[in-house]
Amino acid sequence: MPASATLRPEIQFATLEQQGDAAQLGMWVFLVNETLFFGALIFTYFIYRISYPHEFAVAAKDAVLWCGSVNLAILLTSSLTMVLAINAGAQGERRAMKRWLLVTVALGCAFLLIKGFEYYQDFQDRVVPVVNFATKPGEGNAGELFWVFYWVATGLHAIHLTIGIGLVLYMLWRIRRGEITPAYYAPLEVVGIYWSFVDTVWLFLYPCIYLVGRS
Amino acid sequence: MTIGPEIHPRRARPLPFVIAWLVMLALAAISLITAFLGLGHWAPVVQFGIAALQTSVLFILFMRLKGPPSLKWVFAISGFLWLSFLYGLSMTDYSNRRGWPPLYTTSGPGFEAHQNGP
Repeated sequence: MPASATLRPEIQFATLEQQGDAAQLGMWVFLVNETLFFGALIFTYFIYRISYPHEFAVAAKDAVLWCGSVNLAILLTSSLTMVLAINAGAQGERRAMKRWLLVTVALGCAFLLIKGFEYYQDFQDRVVPVVNFATKPGEGNAGELFWVFYWVATGLHAIHLTIGIGLVLYMLWRIRRGEITPAYYAPLEVVGIYWSFVDTVWLFLYPCIYLVGRS
Repeated sequence: MTIGPEIHPRRARPLPFVIAWLVMLALAAISLITAFLGLGHWAPVVQFGIAALQTSVLFILFMRLKGPPSLKWVFAISGFLWLSFLYGLSMTDYSNRRGWPPLYTTSGPGFEAHQNGP
């Protein structure tokens, strides 16, 4: 007997609908915290960028533009595939739901692979503060500040994305168990909200890192 | 047997999402192009404006801010409200610091070396 046949709301909820609403609201509360977390980080970046505009412009030229741009396109596409998976889940199209979720995981992994390659390039370019850093002409000591931001921000983003990939894989496992059905697909919806939020973080990191000092 | 009502049935049509995705990709391309146009101080304004526009599309359509429960709006808006407090209160400090932001625009530490190249 599939798990969906015995699907009941948790004891504190009257209906599955109410449970789904609470799950969504819980994710939004979490995302408010995440907004403040990344918001504070980006604020710090702006303070330093305004303080050292030329040094940041020189330092940022070493950022690998194509990697950041391709990754932006990948993340935007993954948000589309995620929402298509949720739509399929709501319609009871189990096969399509699984297919779109697998594409989402593949896109997430592609992002991390490109990011890994970019990190390798960064190491070759000696822009890893403390570990392997060479100050370029014109960037002064403040250039290192840019790269500290780069590693902290992109590292935190990569951790969030990795968690997102894990959550999507967990959803695939729950689908296999028959726990995600048209009657109750709130867990998938909540993971989708998280996934798109991680996408929005990259939307702001992209101009911070890759579009500085190009003209 | 379905136990409990269906939760917010989504529209099956993928077209609005595909159009939104194409618009966001186009905006990303515009953002990239602006980096090479020499817009000066306006470049970050335009680029972050585009990022904000893309975020709005993601929030409203992809993250389903549009649709029930409408209480989601309260949470989403509160996030940006707290963020504005964070930025506003922090700027009361920086805006009252002497010599900040630095006034140099065509000179400054490292600028000459930057002009001369490596």
